Amino acid sequence: MHQLNINKNAANVCDLAYLTEIMAGKKTLIKGIMDRFLIQIPEELSNLKNAIAEEKYASIQSYAHTMKSSVSIMGITTLTPILKLMEDLAKLGLDIKKIEELNKQLNTICNKALSEITNESVGYL
Amino acid sequence: MKTPINIFIVDDNQLFAMSLKADIETTFADRPIKISLFEIGEKCMDRFKRSTPQLVILDYYLNTNHPSAANGIKVLDWIKKENADTYVIILTGDDNIDVAVKSFQHGASDYIVKTETTFKKINYSLLNMFNVMEARNDVRRYKRLLRLLFLCVAFFIGGVTAIFIYAR
Repeated sequence: MHQLNINKNAANVCDLAYLTEIMAGKKTLIKGIMDRFLIQIPEELSNLKNAIAEEKYASIQSYAHTMKSSVSIMGITTLTPILKLMEDLAKLGLDIKKIEELNKQLNTICNKALSEITNESVGYL
Repeated sequence: MKTPINIFIVDDNQLFAMSLKADIETTFADRPIKISLFEIGEKCMDRFKRSTPQLVILDYYLNTNHPSAANGIKVLDWIKKENADTYVIILTGDDNIDVAVKSFQHGASDYIVKTETTFKKINYSLLNMFNVMEARNDVRRYKRLLRLLFLCVAFFIGGVTAIFIYAR
């Protein structure tokens, strides 16, 4: 059975233990979720970027909220407080500079996660 | 073979919906379950008329990708109007008591806040609902049996009475 090397490296942002547990280790299911993650996260980041550029607080709140569920499936726990703060600030409709700063952190971590999942998904072919 | 339990999942986060579907299928691998996914309530209702589900797992916020999409409460109202017997579990990322109260007032069977343990909570809720469904099916079966038994007794008494009258 394919080993989840991604969990063994502390420097990684993803922890696939949860995904593996809920999918009962079924490789085809895990691969399907990984593929969806690789499609959906860039879309969500792009939507969020546009909403921030246009200072649409309701959209920022909505996208940040959706992303919380998306990233939690891949065990990216470092993003939970970032997204939560983005959502809270957007809800109050203030501090776009702080939101932009948080968005930079979000993009950095998500790009790392996308790279990890891309490499990991090769083992599920 | 048992008829599969028909479940609809309505959530605009496809990654979440796909993961939830796989998790339910894994957890209840011993039960025949058919799960369909919908991004918005409008699409769910189109299908609802053709294949009524026993259970719907419905996200409260459905307008992330489609700003004009109906919210969960509106979809819940449609579902209950179409078939009051369908169980509906409302999902939300907000731990907001108003949303919870509103969901129950509109006929939701359960209300679950999305957290790290969402899938476990949903599965627990599903298990309870499956048990209720089975209990209701048992009640229906016993009622049918009782009706049959009553008919047999009535037929027997009628027959005996007829024979008695004829014999006199």
